[in-house]
Amino acid sequence: MSPTLFRIMLQYIRRRSIQSVLLIIGVMIGVAMMVAIDIANNSASKAFELSTESITGKTTHEITGGPNGLDEGLYTQIRTEVGWQNSAPIVTDYVVALELDKQPMRLFGIDPFAEPPFRNYINTENAIDSGTDEPDMLALGRFFIQPNTILIGEDLAKQYDIRPNDTLTLQYGDKTHTVTVIGLLRTSDSLARQALQGMVIADISTAQELLGMPGKLSRIDLIIDPDTSEGRTVITDIKAILPPGASLMTARARADAVGQLTDAFELNLTALSLLALVVGMFLVYNTVMFSVVQRRPVIGILRSIGVTRRQIFALVISEALLLSSIGALLGLGLGIILGRATVEVVTQSINDVFFTVTVQSLHVSAFTLIKGFVVGVGAALFAAFLPAYEATNTPPISASRRSDLEQRTLKIIPYITVAGIVMALAGTGLLRFQALLINFAGIFSIIIGLALLTALVVLWSVPLLPPVTGKLGGLVGRMAPRSILRNFSRTSVAIAALMLAVSVIVGVTIMVGSFRITVEDWLNQTLRADVFISPPNGTASQTDTPISRDLITRVEEVEGISRVVYTRQTEVAEVGDDRPVALSAIMSDMAEGRRHFVHQVDLSQAEIYDRVVNGNALLMTEPFANSRGIQWRDDLTITLLTEQGPVEFAVLGIYQDYTTSQGHVTIGLETYRRLWNDENITAIGAYVEPGADIDAVLVRLQNALSGSQLLIQSNRELRQSAMEVFDRTFAITGALNLLATVVAFIGILSALMALQLERRREIGIMRSNGLTQKQMLRLTLWETGIMGTVAGIMAMPVGLALAMALIKVINLRSFGWSMEIFIRWEFFAQAFAVAILAALLAGLYPAWRIGRIQPVEAIRSE
Amino acid sequence: MPSQKPIVQLHHLSKSYTETDSKRVILDDVSVHFYEGEFAVLLGPSGSGKSTMLNLMSGIDAPDSGRVSVNDTDITTLNEHARTIFRRNHIGIIFQSFNLIPTLTVLENVTLPYELQGNSRKQAQAKATEVLGKVGLAGREKSYPDRLSGGQQQRVAIARAIVHQPDLIVADEPTGNLDHHTGETILQLLLDMTRNAGKTLIMATHSMDIVPLADRVFRIEDGKLIEDTERLRVGAEIKAKLEKKMHAELVQSMAQLETIGGSL
Repeated sequence: MSPTLFRIMLQYIRRRSIQSVLLIIGVMIGVAMMVAIDIANNSASKAFELSTESITGKTTHEITGGPNGLDEGLYTQIRTEVGWQNSAPIVTDYVVALELDKQPMRLFGIDPFAEPPFRNYINTENAIDSGTDEPDMLALGRFFIQPNTILIGEDLAKQYDIRPNDTLTLQYGDKTHTVTVIGLLRTSDSLARQALQGMVIADISTAQELLGMPGKLSRIDLIIDPDTSEGRTVITDIKAILPPGASLMTARARADAVGQLTDAFELNLTALSLLALVVGMFLVYNTVMFSVVQRRPVIGILRSIGVTRRQIFALVISEALLLSSIGALLGLGLGIILGRATVEVVTQSINDVFFTVTVQSLHVSAFTLIKGFVVGVGAALFAAFLPAYEATNTPPISASRRSDLEQRTLKIIPYITVAGIVMALAGTGLLRFQALLINFAGIFSIIIGLALLTALVVLWSVPLLPPVTGKLGGLVGRMAPRSILRNFSRTSVAIAALMLAVSVIVGVTIMVGSFRITVEDWLNQTLRADVFISPPNGTASQTDTPISRDLITRVEEVEGISRVVYTRQTEVAEVGDDRPVALSAIMSDMAEGRRHFVHQVDLSQAEIYDRVVNGNALLMTEPFANSRGIQWRDDLTITLLTEQGPVEFAVLGIYQDYTTSQGHVTIGLETYRRLWNDENITAIGAYVEPGADIDAVLVRLQNALSGSQLLIQSNRELRQSAMEVFDRTFAITGALNLLATVVAFIGILSALMALQLERRREIGIMRSNGLTQKQMLRLTLWETGIMGTVAGIMAMPVGLALAMALIKVINLRSFGWSMEIFIRWEFFAQAFAVAILAALLAGLYPAWRIGRIQPVEAIRSE
Repeated sequence: MPSQKPIVQLHHLSKSYTETDSKRVILDDVSVHFYEGEFAVLLGPSGSGKSTMLNLMSGIDAPDSGRVSVNDTDITTLNEHARTIFRRNHIGIIFQSFNLIPTLTVLENVTLPYELQGNSRKQAQAKATEVLGKVGLAGREKSYPDRLSGGQQQRVAIARAIVHQPDLIVADEPTGNLDHHTGETILQLLLDMTRNAGKTLIMATHSMDIVPLADRVFRIEDGKLIEDTERLRVGAEIKAKLEKKMHAELVQSMAQLETIGGSL
């Protein structure tokens, strides 16, 4: 580009600085949201990966048992009978460290002498700070011999001011234990350092005692090269001595199975984050189109002195490139800042719903930043393409008039409408695919397609308004709709952008609202007991923590309690699937016949539960069936790996459940005990005698169980805390909605500012013909008010369509749960209010500026 | 004096515009040659097709039928891109409303066409400064167009139209926005700048004052281009009388010129 042409571009940007700033802000917010969500997702994934990788170390295979773990003898057998020395025993679970802000920590029980080939936490020299001059070996010896001693990372100790020989209180289920910190681990390996932030290392026997697993191991880690004949022999030999219920799998497979749980959750967040970018594209389109329209005379001159169409195109695109690059760069910075806040929200949700993960550091990858920049600038250029092309059509004579553009815009309405219909239909087609990514593409296609229809709706509906608005607003009321139509090329785009943002609010509000109502109803229906007793629920990983069986009697003995039920929740393995199966073992139908079955065998619910509680039959939750692609049929079975070997269970039904997105299976408690030899329980439900004062019973229960640290919640409290988790999970959705609205607001502001600049002469003429400043202000507000109303009304059906797609497709495919759509008037009213408010607010500043225009000056400025 | 080498050749040129449901013929089978160094004037009332003809000659617009050759290049066969490049290298345009770029300084406005030809900024600036000196605007290089009078703005436009040494200069009512005195000065300047450089100048106007200076005069009537020898003859007389300072006769000839062929 010639330097003078380049200067023309820069001069324009400088002269229209507000427009330029709005474009920059629009791109900035879009990019920032995308980057923030990306950073949050990546940080959580990376933290999970790091902790998995660090804990896995060089392990290639692992042997895991059922809920009871593995017998210690198996480890000895592997070392002696199979003769495989590259093996290490592990006893591990999550405990709560009271002195460390009650955060969940992984208690990692190891044999320090078997460890070195596997992990490098404690195998380097001078790596243990025991507070004395003793050599590492001595400290390690004490750690090995003295019961209830632990090692923690140096960074963690520093954070909480813990020194060697200090004590910590660890809680597991209803038990608390005091342990002594024998030394602080120093390591230069950054992976290990990060992992140590969330870990407490103990000797095997200490861990066994703390976790109530005497003589048991959680797993045995192995290093085997399956590509050698020796490796293959060892695998065969080990498989031969595996007890029933134990399985050998690659470490990778297990980590992948767990890591995949959050894939859909993260994809949903990413899709939401792209939303602001899409709304931002309308903003870019409007701004660039405005700059083109305004510079038509200059472009005409340039064309006449020999500037080619290509050069004009390059001029307009370069301008968009320059501004959007600034916006994208600022967006990257803002995204990193927002990422810090977002990562906490995302991690909280993952901990609530999926598994425990502690994010120590923000993971800002170059890829995230490059992607954010490229997608942001790319979207802006895509949006600028049409205006840039439009600019090249400027004839090289003197200025063509605005009305020419309006005429041309009207001519392309049929094409835009057809394109909108095609996009919406194609999008609907994409929803049928069984792939979430394609489904999201479908949703974007639908909403953009429907946004394209805005033009036609405006063209049809606004001409009907003058009689009504005239009655309400007099002269200016009559003028406003006409003014919208006269400047159709820009008003329709602003309305479309606002409509898009508001329809997303409607859609997401209906989706979250319906989901909330569904979950509330479901909790009301299925939680029948009056009091629930469980380990303090820190994270989703801790719901399996066993509690003492003697608690049952202690609860039963409390005055006012009529009946006690209890369950065992644990993870077992399915034959032929690496993913762990969450299992809930029940004494009876805790929901008392109120569950909603999606499919069931031809029996009554009472009969079904009778067979589940007493035989080898089970029920599946809907997310469980959906996440594994299980299709219902009457003779459906599933084979679980029990301590008695593989056992086939008849599936008697699939019911709606919203506990987790991976779902679970329900079997009878007696069956569970028989097949897995596990007497543990994880939660207790108690019924209060009719007429008893529930608060008084709660107080008595708390006294009876004092010192147990258990969570004792009334039915109402449990429902409340469940809803709190629900709201927490969707908090980020609200924030993203808000940001999309902000971008739409900027869009409409920018469109109005542009109009105001373009219409200076018209405004001057109106003013010189006697329209007062106040009338001008009212005219502008009437215009924006109508624009907001049209956007708000149109957003309702579009939002409803979006809600249906989210509920019936995205939620079902992402999380496996089906639900009804609940439509409440307040969902719409709220969004409608946002539309009008955003439009009116955006109108205030331009209205003020228009009011200040002096008629003489305005006419002269042409 | 013009040579016999044709610079612009129009062959059976026709152009019409469609308006709602009627078709308006602007140019109807127009054929004419303009020669190197010639100064031709197109007369005609507003809307008669003068501007359309200039636009066709400069490749800004395309005809419905017929050919336009400029310097032996048939520009009607060129695509839009090639036409633009051709215009950039061979044609200079002057508009009634000056059409300077408001965000560029006087110097930058003039440098632009020279830069577009691929010359360096430095070369372009040197050349533009030289041309601005010739049009009497030395010292105003850094001013913005809105700081200049109408006459000065048109001087800048003339400088811009000739800076890149085009073969053909088309001027569409170059004095239309100027007062009589300024208009005369600008015309004289334009003629000096083109005649001295041996360039062809084709000008559309409805001012009679220009006729005495023209080599040939044309008018457009109902889409047809008619060479107006009568006006040219009277114009020549005026020119002669002017030179001989025969003022009384001059007034008479001027009145005669005004009445030829009705009012324009």
